[in-house]
Order: sequence, then C-alpha cells, then structure tokens
Amino acid sequence: MDYLIEQALNGFSIGAQYSLLALGLAIVFSVMGLVNFAHGEFIGVAGYAMFAMAAMGMTNPWLLVLFAAVTVVIVALVIERIAFRSVRDAPPTTGLLTAFGVGIVLQNLFLLLVSPRPKAVPSLSALNQTVDVWGHNFTILQFLEVGVTAVAIGALVWFLKATRIGLAMRAAALDFTTVRLMGMRANRVIAFAFAISGLLASIAAIFFIARRGAIDPFMGLLPVLKAFVACVLGGFGSLPGAVIGGLLLGFVEVMLIVLLPDKLAGLRDASVFLIVGAILVFRPQGILGKRVELGDKTA
Amino acid sequence: MLEIEGASINYGPVSAVRDVSLRVEKGEIVALLGPNGAGKTSLLSAAMGLRPLATGSIRFKGEDLRKLDTETRVRRGLTLTPEGRKVFANLTVLENLELGAATRKKGAEIHHDMEMCFELFPILAERRHQTGGSLSGGEQQMLAIARSLMSRPSLLMLDEPSLGLAPRIVRQIFRLIRDLRDRDLTILLVEQNAHEVLRFADRAYVLSTGECRYAGPASRLHDKDALMQAYIGELVA
Repeated sequence: MDYLIEQALNGFSIGAQYSLLALGLAIVFSVMGLVNFAHGEFIGVAGYAMFAMAAMGMTNPWLLVLFAAVTVVIVALVIERIAFRSVRDAPPTTGLLTAFGVGIVLQNLFLLLVSPRPKAVPSLSALNQTVDVWGHNFTILQFLEVGVTAVAIGALVWFLKATRIGLAMRAAALDFTTVRLMGMRANRVIAFAFAISGLLASIAAIFFIARRGAIDPFMGLLPVLKAFVACVLGGFGSLPGAVIGGLLLGFVEVMLIVLLPDKLAGLRDASVFLIVGAILVFRPQGILGKRVELGDKTA
Repeated sequence: MLEIEGASINYGPVSAVRDVSLRVEKGEIVALLGPNGAGKTSLLSAAMGLRPLATGSIRFKGEDLRKLDTETRVRRGLTLTPEGRKVFANLTVLENLELGAATRKKGAEIHHDMEMCFELFPILAERRHQTGGSLSGGEQQMLAIARSLMSRPSLLMLDEPSLGLAPRIVRQIFRLIRDLRDRDLTILLVEQNAHEVLRFADRAYVLSTGECRYAGPASRLHDKDALMQAYIGELVA
C-alpha cells in the first residue's frame, strides 16, 4: 500500500513534466499549425545553460534555474524569428522539416561546443532528498514538480482568459486571419506562443535535470516524443488535452514500472506506446479532441 | 477616403480582378455588387492587405496602403467585417468585442464603446457571456459588425452581411447600416442582395467576372433592366 501511494505521486510528478512539455507543443501548434519537434532541445538549452553557469562558478541554485529559464525563452524567441517566421506561410511539412533542422543544429552545437559525452549538473541534486510524510517516502522534487506545474497551468489559464494577447492566441487557434483583421499583430501573438512554450519547457527541463543530475546533447529526444504522444493522446491542439494526455502518460509509465517484472523492464517504453496505440484505436481524435474543430480551422 | 486605381488581383495563374477602379468618399454608403465569383471579396481582401495587388494602387486618406501590413491598416481606420462573419466561436461575446478593440489602449473608452455596441444590439448584451459559436446566424452577424466597430474605424467594409439570414434580420442589419452612416461612418458594402441595397446606397459599382461593369449613382440602377444590363453586359438590352 505504501508503495502504491508513493508510486501514485511519482506518476503525478512524471506526468506533470510531460504535461508541461505537451502544453508547449500544443500552444505553438494551435496558434500556427506547427509541430515544433525542436521543442525537446529546449531541455538541452536549459541543461547546457546551467552547466555553463555552474562551470563559471555560480553555485546559487535559484540563480541557475532563473538563468536557464531566461535562456530558453530567449532561444525560443530567436528560433522563431530566424527559422520559423520565414516558413510561416509555407506548407506544414516545410515547418516540420525546419523544426527537425533546428533540433539537429542545436544538438550539434551542444556536441561541438561542449562534449558528446554526458556532463554532470549536480547543482539541483539536493532536491532528490527523501522526506518522510506520514510514514511515506517522497522526494522534495516530487512535490515541487506537482506544485509548480499546477501553478504554471493556473497562470497559463489566467493569461489566456484575462489578457488580450491570450484572447488572441485562443482566437488564432481557430482563425488567424480574422485575428489579424482585428489589428492584432501576428508576429506578437506567435512570439508570445513561443516564449510561453519555452518557459514551460524550461520548467520541465529543470525538473528533468534535477532527477538525472546529468545532461547530454540528445537528452531532449525522448521527452519531446513523449510530449508529442501526450498531445495526440489528449487531442492535438487542445490545451486541456495536452495536460490530461501528459498526466495519463506519466501514470501509465509508472504503472508499468510497478507491474512489469524486472526481466521485462526493457519493454517499458514499448508497452507504453502499445497502450497509447490501443487508446487511439477507440478514440482516434484523442481524449478531448473534436473532429469538427479540425474542419473549422480556416486560417 | 478610399481610392483604388486600376487594381488587378491574381490567384496564381488565375486572374480574379482586372483593372478595377473604385472610390469611396467620406460619409457615403457605396455598394459593390455583382454575382458570385465576380471578385468583390478579393477586392476587399486586397484593400485590407490580405491579398497582394498585381497592378494598381490603393490609397486611404491620401496615404499609399501598399507598403502597410493588415494590422497597420486597421490602425489607420480601415476595417473589414469578413464574409461568413468569422466570429470567434470559442470566445464569449465580450471576448470577441475585446479583441475587436485590439488596436486600442484606453480601457475606459473601450468599455464605453462596448456599452454603445450593446445599445445598438441589445441581444448581444443579453448574450455577453455566451460563446460566439452558440449565437444564431443573425446574432453572429451583429457581433461581427459590433466587433468591427470596436476598432473605431472611419471606413467600415462589410462583406455580404445578409448572407444566409432571414429577411426580417436582413432588414434589421440594413437599417443598422444606415444608422451607422448617420453616426459619421463611411461604408463600403458588398452584397448579392442588390435590390435592397440600392435603395439606400449613394453610389454603386457592379463587378462581373473580375471587371467593372458599372460605376455611378445607385439610383440609376433602380430600374430593373438597367441593373440586369450592368450585371450581364450589353447583350440583354
């Protein structure tokens, strides 16, 4: 029983990371119809930013985290400006290929400028300390993951409902041309979408790095794939769907860790995708996706 | 106020509008008529900068619009209520109006204009917290017009506001358009519903297969034969 409760929080906290990454993918997709597969590299950017600052002697974990988040947001904005803006009106496949290209460039920058081998980033490892809560063993990190993710989602909901640019982003998900007819600057709306997706990714990245304690040039590959699956699972383009898909994916993964015998542990990711595939057979549009909405998109 | 000179618009190899000139003076209601596919919507899109001009020029209040993007044209006082209304279905009525005021900063003025919209369209006040998608066709058209007014335009371009609406609602929309002119707004109205519109428009243009077939006072088209002739050319006389 103890074990189950502990694993339930574990599922929540891993799911929270996927939700943050999936939300970032979904926001950019809903605004400009782009699946940004370079999204995973934001994790790498956060990791190498922290690594570089730590190497220069910065030890304060708060400052490291802040620096990582700011760097990712800036990189997201720069990528949008120099890579994605010029292909904005091109067919969707062009955007997709551009995203892969951006990802490869970033990976190779990490590889060339730092090292192809993993590097230790131990600054946040203190978060893995276990604490005793009513006789259960949890880590501080797990509570932070769930708590910070909840706050981030709450802030995002507020932003989308209460600010004009948030309204424009919701409207643009349906019809970008008409948003422009209102005089709302397309460049601003899209830049905001990238900045938010970068910010959410940096939060996920910080937790990811705190768990692993190390970084490598290709660390973003699997997480972005999982985030993509979470989006598909929840209904692509739907923001609540991305959150639910992420949490579900986290739970399924942890459940498989618990249930699969050690001998079959290597089949964990395969089993996850099998289960996701099975869900999609019955709900091809995802959990919250509506098929009609795709038809409604006129932009 | 708006001067389009010798405009041509192409969609790839297909020419949608050829050498059309059009002028709207302050305080006028100008009707842009013509059958389906005549190029009316293309011309409005070009005026908003959503479509490039192949040839010709567009000036608004004396300023060359060709170098300005859509967003900047809205800031200059030009606005388009697009064909098919294009209400934001996932946003509430209030949120739709708020986005309509995207170019403006002063909260108090925006609030004042919203109240004005609710006076013009009391039904929208009732439905202010409903989503745009839950409104009827007529209500959506009213919301689309109200949303355009929120940018405080000096020229309002309406693309087929009567499309798909019941006759009673159409009369209501047309009455509103006349009221708006009395409130110092200039209006360029695209319509298929020619007869109704010609009763209150000042001047009219008839476009057919991308070419201008008539330009002159609306009153001269009151006669059925004259209108017919403008629509399909000299053959039927």
